[in-house]
Amino acid sequence: MFKKLIRFSVEKPGWIMAIVVVAVIAALVQFPGIKVDTDPENMLPEEEFVRVFHHDVKKEFALYDFIVLGVVNEKSDNGVFEPGTLEKIYSITERIKTIDGVIGYELMSPSTKDDIEQAGPGAVQFKWLMGQPPYTKEEALHIKERAMENPLFYGTIVSENGKALCIYVPIEAKDMSYRISRNIRDIVGKFGGDERYYITGLPVAEDTFGFEMFKQMAISAPLAMLVIFLLMYAFFKNARLVVAPLVLAGITVIITMGLLIGLGFTVHIMSSMIPIFLMPIAVLDSVHILSEFYEKYQKAGDRKKAVLETIDDLFMPMLFTSLTTTAGFFSLAFARIPPVQVFGIFVACGVMTAWILTMTFVPASIALMKKEWLEGFGVSEQVSEKALMNRFLSATGRFSVKRWKAIVAGTILVVIFSGYGISKIVINDNPVKWFTEKHEIRVADKILNEHFGGTYTAYLVLEAEDKNAEVFKEPDTLRYIEKMQNYLQQKGSVGKTTSLADVTKKVYYELLGGDKANNVIPPTRQAVAQSLISYQNSHKPDDLWHFTSPDYSKVNIWFQLKSGDNLDMSRVEKDVENFISRNPPPRPMSEGWAGLTYINVVWQNRMVVGMLRNFLGSFIIVLFMMVFLFRSPVRGIVSMVPLTVTIVFIYSLLGFTGKNYDMPVAVLSALTLGLSIDFAIHFLQRAREIHITRGDWPSTAEEMFREPARAILRNALIISIGFLPLLAAPLVPYKTVGVFMFLIMLTSSVGTLLILPAIISAVPAVIFEEKRSPACKCSYCMLFGLIVSAAVAYVLGGYSITSWDVTTFICIGIIVIMSGLCNIMSRHKICISEGTSESEA
Amino acid sequence: MGKIIGMVTAITVVLAASVVFAITADEVVNKASLASYYQGDDGRANIHMVITDSQGRTRERDMTILKLDLEDNGEQRYYVYFHKPSDVEGMAYLVWKHPGRDDDRWLYLPALDLVRRVASSDKRSSFVGSHFAYEEISGRGPEEDTHRIKTEDEEYYVIESVPKDPGSVEFSYFLTWVNKENFLPMKAELYDKNGKHYKTIEALEVKEVQGFPTITRMKAADLNSGGNTVSETSDIEYNADIQEDVFSERFLRRPPRKYIR
Repeated sequence: MFKKLIRFSVEKPGWIMAIVVVAVIAALVQFPGIKVDTDPENMLPEEEFVRVFHHDVKKEFALYDFIVLGVVNEKSDNGVFEPGTLEKIYSITERIKTIDGVIGYELMSPSTKDDIEQAGPGAVQFKWLMGQPPYTKEEALHIKERAMENPLFYGTIVSENGKALCIYVPIEAKDMSYRISRNIRDIVGKFGGDERYYITGLPVAEDTFGFEMFKQMAISAPLAMLVIFLLMYAFFKNARLVVAPLVLAGITVIITMGLLIGLGFTVHIMSSMIPIFLMPIAVLDSVHILSEFYEKYQKAGDRKKAVLETIDDLFMPMLFTSLTTTAGFFSLAFARIPPVQVFGIFVACGVMTAWILTMTFVPASIALMKKEWLEGFGVSEQVSEKALMNRFLSATGRFSVKRWKAIVAGTILVVIFSGYGISKIVINDNPVKWFTEKHEIRVADKILNEHFGGTYTAYLVLEAEDKNAEVFKEPDTLRYIEKMQNYLQQKGSVGKTTSLADVTKKVYYELLGGDKANNVIPPTRQAVAQSLISYQNSHKPDDLWHFTSPDYSKVNIWFQLKSGDNLDMSRVEKDVENFISRNPPPRPMSEGWAGLTYINVVWQNRMVVGMLRNFLGSFIIVLFMMVFLFRSPVRGIVSMVPLTVTIVFIYSLLGFTGKNYDMPVAVLSALTLGLSIDFAIHFLQRAREIHITRGDWPSTAEEMFREPARAILRNALIISIGFLPLLAAPLVPYKTVGVFMFLIMLTSSVGTLLILPAIISAVPAVIFEEKRSPACKCSYCMLFGLIVSAAVAYVLGGYSITSWDVTTFICIGIIVIMSGLCNIMSRHKICISEGTSESEA
Repeated sequence: MGKIIGMVTAITVVLAASVVFAITADEVVNKASLASYYQGDDGRANIHMVITDSQGRTRERDMTILKLDLEDNGEQRYYVYFHKPSDVEGMAYLVWKHPGRDDDRWLYLPALDLVRRVASSDKRSSFVGSHFAYEEISGRGPEEDTHRIKTEDEEYYVIESVPKDPGSVEFSYFLTWVNKENFLPMKAELYDKNGKHYKTIEALEVKEVQGFPTITRMKAADLNSGGNTVSETSDIEYNADIQEDVFSERFLRRPPRKYIR
């Protein structure tokens, strides 16, 4: 059926072009309906417990995501506490309040926060920390003194050394934060002077990342295309012919994205990476075709005939490389992370689209070309660098056949060494670190976290079992919280914590006359209650409800972390857990975490663990397909060797270089799998085909290291170099993609061209033996049974259709049935009489 | 000659003004202040406040308020005794209201057995966590703002009041709807420095008590946070013959049981 389709493409190329044009237009029409979503929180399903809890906590304690604006004055001895600087801060605060999307009355700034202080003998007063900008140095220093004395401000609004102040700008929605941060930048840009302004905070980092990601997409993707074009031109010396694969890649991307948008999916940070993933995959197949066509054209003389022959040769390997890549990405659908599911499914669709286009569009374009355009195509064998490439490849071939023992030994060493590297991998992520170090957000992040308790936020909510007893008015529970905070501060894992205990202590000792000796939790419940009701006489009584629910059945402890690394957040979580297990609370209560920093830990952990599981699953599925393609479990396993070495080697580099295993790296594992297997499939399939005519391995190898090896090397060079421009991107995940593409191509081509021939040299009979049905060998059958059951376990597990127990039984059942079948089959006549038929399981 | 023309002009202007508004804005505000804060010579009442936040969660405050007018629209004394929440029972405030200068304010916290003076240069802070500011309970001095009659209809004078010291308050101006008949302020809208309407105070119920029209239910709504406080006044008694010495620091520790029930 496919043959007919391909013939049709060559005979009636106009039709194919028309269909493609219609499809592209239909896809393009969808683009205006694009819905963009840059919120990493959506990495978790909306009904996910931690998200629901996070939103409940935000609502209950009136907490908002905020942008942090830091003002630093290093020039003056008094830091920011100069009348001039404070006046700027006052005006900046007033202007920020008017920005659309800013929740003005919840803004945290010296001029919007109330302080309690002594007002002469026997008197206290509630006063704005900075009701009016100060006129004199003394007034400015008084504000400093007050701010330093107040546990709610010290390390939060004002830095330890007084050189910096922070304004926390609460925003209505996270997806406004990029725009609002620009507005804030415009506002502070109007104020000259010694002050430096820094804008950071997770929402800004995340939203800015989304914004820059789309921008990068528009820069990087075309740039990569251009480099790929130039490389292909260098190889094939025919601009018209080389354009076809690029157009194909473009069409693939357009149709896939059009489908995604048309079906109403939002373009998330993940899905915005679809084009950059699809392009190399789409180009890869066409390069194989062009390579083969390049070799065949002069011999065949007729372009249509040459195309048909080419595709005839490449049909099976290309089908399988596409299927394995599809499987690799499709298995992402099992990850319980919606954007990753969408990403996986649509990349998989894109891969199949690319495959169909390769089978139809490329032949059709060649068929449409005028004969003159192909003049001289494919004859430039004598050109020196080509000759160099040829010499290099045949030397490689000879080497891998002769020195197979050394290669196999070397491979084993590399794998062992890599295993050590993998054991050193650190799983960690931090959205701020998705920016390069010189990016303004990274710079701001670094400076502000040096000055303050931390710009990363997490909330620990304690909930009393008894809802009606106002448990958190009790001195013992408050002392418990105080003790926990001290413990955490001592551990050093957290920059600062603020809680109801701090508020109570502050009000209590100010009421008692301002003596720090009274900076303790009041002795009785009534004293606590009366201190807290006094606090509510301030200008901002509702500030109390950020720390406790009005019925005092829940409290919220605000954690400020100096780093948004998952590792650091997890450490804090662990410390709290340890504290609670060692110090049982005085009254029954439960605890829960909220806050963006914590949410990131949850989804990133799930992503990393999910990816690992998914990766193992795809590995099994691909193995299964290889067994099917090569009609032998052993050949299937051999074909997986270069891929395994590639993956093990690349991921060991993470361990050795200390680069964190983060979200982008996790996603790239699917790509690694899909791309690395390609060369092995081409190599083995072609080797087997050639072996049929040549009959022995050494001469097969000689032929293999001509055209087939050239195609592999060309492909490796085009993709690896083509994606190097990504290294110039200001976003770390782009650099990571660039580096990965380079390494995948390099390692898997080396793996295929050295290790595979070496293995074949070791056991040529296993690879080329065709005479016996695999069903004849019991060991093959067992192996096959194992692979099938692993695949079944993975798929069923992925769909969560069955529990682990049921799956186990099904798998054991499969193995038993297969063994039984093996036994019967191997006693069959054909096997004994060395029959040639292949009965496929 | 010039003088005569000047006088005639002045008279014409005054006449013209009085044709439009038969009463000046200051007069309306003074009358409103009297009607809402200085009825009778003294008085007592029980106040029940329900503070509702934007999430619908409520908190309650129960208190008894005693007041004594030393002079109409002038010196005044307040005594506030808290019954609820129960763990603050016995907490008491004493306020000596001085028109034209800072009030004196004392706070008694029984659990700490502590009387503290509370500096009150700023009367815009919250009254025990409610959406009423202090001066919205004890009355804002008419002399603190410049008033003008913005509009009037059959029922109300709408007064626009602009603070003389804008730095001391968080609003830029407020509008008050004063009932033409009894001069009770029935509604006030407060506007922030950016001109945004952010707070409304409304009289929900007016009752005649001993011949004095009295607001018995009122509501302050914070449009920023979405919360509101409803204050209900009951057991009102004017001219209850409250002695002046009740309003002294001494009585904070020893509440006058006679009036507090």
